[in-house]
Amino acid sequence: MNLLENIFNYILDFGAPVFVPLIMILVGLIVRMKFREAFSAGLTLGLAFVGMNMVVGFMMNSISPAAQQFVTNTGIELTAIDAGWTPMATLSWAWPLAFFMFPIQITINLIMLMIKQTNTLNVDLWNVWGKIFTAVLVIGVSGSVSLAFIVASIQVIVELKLADVNKQQIERLTQIPGVTTTHGMTLFCVILWPFNKILDLIPGLNDRHIDVDWLKEKLGIFAENHVMGFIIGLLIGIFAQYNPQEILILGVQSAAALTLFPMVAKLFMQALAPLSDAVSEYMRRKFSGRDIYIGLDWPFLAGRNEIWVTTIVLIPLILGLAVLLPGNMILPFAGIINLSVAVPALIVTGGNLLRMILLCVLMTPVFLYIATFFAPTITNLAKDTGAIDVATGTFISWSSLELPVYRYIFAYATDVINGQMFGFIGAIVWIGLFVWYYKGMKKRNERFDQEEKKGQVA
Amino acid sequence: MKKVIVACGSGVATSQTVASKVQKLLKEKGIYAQVDAVDIKSLNQYIKESSAYIAITQPKEKYPIPVINGIAFLTGVGMEGELQKVIDAVS
Repeated sequence: MNLLENIFNYILDFGAPVFVPLIMILVGLIVRMKFREAFSAGLTLGLAFVGMNMVVGFMMNSISPAAQQFVTNTGIELTAIDAGWTPMATLSWAWPLAFFMFPIQITINLIMLMIKQTNTLNVDLWNVWGKIFTAVLVIGVSGSVSLAFIVASIQVIVELKLADVNKQQIERLTQIPGVTTTHGMTLFCVILWPFNKILDLIPGLNDRHIDVDWLKEKLGIFAENHVMGFIIGLLIGIFAQYNPQEILILGVQSAAALTLFPMVAKLFMQALAPLSDAVSEYMRRKFSGRDIYIGLDWPFLAGRNEIWVTTIVLIPLILGLAVLLPGNMILPFAGIINLSVAVPALIVTGGNLLRMILLCVLMTPVFLYIATFFAPTITNLAKDTGAIDVATGTFISWSSLELPVYRYIFAYATDVINGQMFGFIGAIVWIGLFVWYYKGMKKRNERFDQEEKKGQVA
Repeated sequence: MKKVIVACGSGVATSQTVASKVQKLLKEKGIYAQVDAVDIKSLNQYIKESSAYIAITQPKEKYPIPVINGIAFLTGVGMEGELQKVIDAVS
């Protein structure tokens, strides 16, 4: 036993860029990939880790001094740099047990399909990382690996349930038949629901006269990575009271960081594509006769320009609130396009822009505070896995952390084993909200059915 | 070499999944083209230099190049037909 443990530790000591490719090659061979392909995929995964570490290092070297300067000049501590989602995916895949999440998601989905508890087949195997990320956050809070897998499994179940009940609304929004989204960000719909109900009480929240496509056309440039990176870099430089030369340098460096993040993240996809392709094909074949919804990643909703207009309108607000909110430590940067709130808001409001913006404004402090809470956890994870180097005294986090409330509450709920009740009670409340949302959407679906019937008669 | 672009919300996940898949399918048929994943927010920068655009969303605008339904490559429904459109566009 000791020997086995020693071998295991020896391999882990190589660090993520070596041991994760080794796991990848092994998994590839188990699902009968050719050795050459498995090796190529594994190596790509390894260099993705190295590349991501380089870009995060570059970003931290550019932004951290400005953040420090800002502290010196104003006393406001924004020392947790927002690295966006791509480094979070990186350190999720670096967890030694990460690959176990594949069979867990697939098995739960297949069982739920068989016992008719869902009608959705989730073929989006990339977003398994969202469950891995939840699991590592749970471990960061309570230290329990088994509870981490349980919380992640609950997430898998809830994602499928929400995919079922959101399907009709999503079809109306996208005009694409037969698909729904199983992305974890839909869990935030549950939190938005009561607030959207409150908005029902305010008359005149109807946006029939807003030309969203025109707005997107005018504002869209600000959402492009390089332009947005440049502007945020300039703003951070100005806040830090840099001289004009330094401000411009920081602007271009920021633009570089935001442009490079997706380029490197694509390598993870390239490495995992053959594996996820094989699995999703297998699952589709298994249920080919039955009429099911296919669960996809969220971007097929990205054609709804309400999403882009909302996220762009939010940018100045996020920056302003980051400075003004007491106790916030997040310096918004790579995660500032907050799709994690805009996409669920699109679903909950059925694409009503005014409501979307109001809901997203209301929720922005929630995102900033939860990102602040998790900053030490995420920074420790980066250090423990060796996936990303973070200098002492600085933190990394993600300003638009997906499904923040679920992750926060359920991570703290597992702390019940250490005698803390707060999260556990929160989890019960969360489940109550979920049931409310589920029933509410069922009613909405009945209304849709009736409308369609009427439409056919007329 | 002819270029095909796939766009999604981040230019990372869905678009790269589809890009990898189309690249593989084309290679199997012995067709050489470059399939790139791009960020939908920067789509207009890439349209000019490409022979086809594989869309994950329901496109609203008209584009000067053929637009192909990318959902087919994710769900498997109607994939062969859409692949043929890609082949027609690049050959």
